[in-house]
Amino acid sequence: MEIKREDILHLASLSNFSLSEDEVTSLGKDLQDIIKYISQLDKLNTDEIEPTYQVFEMENVWREDEILPQDASREELLGLAQEEKEHQIKVPKVL
Amino acid sequence: MKYIPTIGIECHVQLKTKTKLFSEVDNDARGKEPNSCVSPVCYALPGMLPRLNGEAIRLAILAGRAMNCEINPVSRFDRKHYFYPDSPKGFQITQFYQPIIGPGYVELPSGVKIRIEHAHLEGDAGKLTHFDTYSLVDLNRVDTPLIEIVSMPDIHSSKDAHDYCKELWRLMCHAGVTYGDLYNGNMRFDINVSIAPEGAKELGTRAEVKNLNSFKAVERAVEYEIKRQSKLLDAGEKVVQETRGWDDGAGKTTGQRSKEEAKDYRYMPEPDLPPINLSSEFIEEEASKLPLMPSDYRKKFKKIIREDIIEILLDYPELMRKIEELSQSGKESQLTAISNLFVSVLLAEEKSVEYLNDLPSAKDLIELSEMNEKKELSSTATKEVFLRLFDPQMKGRGAKNIAKELGLIQENDLGALEEIVDIVLAKPETKKAQDDFRAGEEKVIGFLVGQVMKESKGKANPSAVQDILRKKLA
Repeated sequence: MEIKREDILHLASLSNFSLSEDEVTSLGKDLQDIIKYISQLDKLNTDEIEPTYQVFEMENVWREDEILPQDASREELLGLAQEEKEHQIKVPKVL
Repeated sequence: MKYIPTIGIECHVQLKTKTKLFSEVDNDARGKEPNSCVSPVCYALPGMLPRLNGEAIRLAILAGRAMNCEINPVSRFDRKHYFYPDSPKGFQITQFYQPIIGPGYVELPSGVKIRIEHAHLEGDAGKLTHFDTYSLVDLNRVDTPLIEIVSMPDIHSSKDAHDYCKELWRLMCHAGVTYGDLYNGNMRFDINVSIAPEGAKELGTRAEVKNLNSFKAVERAVEYEIKRQSKLLDAGEKVVQETRGWDDGAGKTTGQRSKEEAKDYRYMPEPDLPPINLSSEFIEEEASKLPLMPSDYRKKFKKIIREDIIEILLDYPELMRKIEELSQSGKESQLTAISNLFVSVLLAEEKSVEYLNDLPSAKDLIELSEMNEKKELSSTATKEVFLRLFDPQMKGRGAKNIAKELGLIQENDLGALEEIVDIVLAKPETKKAQDDFRAGEEKVIGFLVGQVMKESKGKANPSAVQDILRKKLA
């Protein structure tokens, strides 16, 4: 599979990244290398093998439905935002 | 040309857990300040791990069974990536590959069956409010547990679309998995509508209308889309596959951003949440907690309560459950009478919604309808006492005591009534009326009954009084 320049730009736009020309080139190369490396798996026959979703072999990890005090207050959390207005996070207009 | 519409519906149901799906923070943001029900997990701070709420799994099992669905023993969570300020994570945790709820069906009151493809658990997104030059983000809704119910494209009219959404709402409310408050977005509907010429083998191109929050809006949006698409096809144009928004005021849909393709979401298994693997014992134990469902009530009360009354009662699970409780000890005629009182008297009250959470006991309601059946209470007095049973000041005193306190019990003791009639007939001012009646003037009986009622301070049973009068004046 070949990674094209358009693929990099498309992926960047999905994540709302703006990339410089140099970054488009170097990220393209990195991604191409990663895919080439992973593609080695294509040579193996995996027909009879269960997909690995996670490696810890845990299951049914859940908790009771009880409210607990939180480590961070609303003020602290809102304080992390660049801009705040009326206890809400202010962002550039999106539609 | 004649076209056949085909409609599939996705419905998001907010579950009424105490805490959110992935952290131990308050899930009930009703009436609370923006961003007051948030945790570091909702904020997606680096290093935060989601902690799955077991109650959401239990409620999903109930919701699934309410729709006659299989429950999948093994299910998993996946990340659905998208960039938007309503999700600080940059992805939604959902179940893409292995959802918890498998195929089933919902039967509409008309008997039409709509198949369910599957339903899955996922976290809700935050809420955006848009202003001229900026938008504000409130994360209270982030990670509220949702089940998204995906129907098969089995719906072919706006009426069935409406009825399906309403029946889903009833099922979820009766199952007790959601508050079911549509106004506050507890259930939201996305509709996929396409049309194809009658007899065509393939379905047409579909348009999706998102975020409808009332049954009426669903019905109107379907109607609008059928009209819009028919016009396009008639003119030889094509329907574009797109997401459209619904403007309730204008009554029309308009095109929105072109939809990301599934591959753009870059779904991947959620590495922070181990899979769910439910034993059949666990599933059965949880599923056995499912209370009676609308179809059970319809079957059970078919011959006792009028169909239109049952359909109204089904919108109020508390009332339906009370009727069910009454059916343990009450007679059929009493169930009919109390159902009618619920619908025609209680629901006509402005405060009726407040009363629903604290209904009178079955004993009080049966006592009341017994008094009515024995004619101890006139129908007007029955309604009055009935309403007092809901009054926080009066309730708990019992129907009989309330009726006595209000002086509403009718005198049915014939001996006592006869005495009162004699007193009235002995009064000189009734002499002329008595003569007139004997002379054949039928309508003066009303005046005489009125005099007896007055003498009895309104407690006499008027029809019994009339009988006695007729006998005495014969």
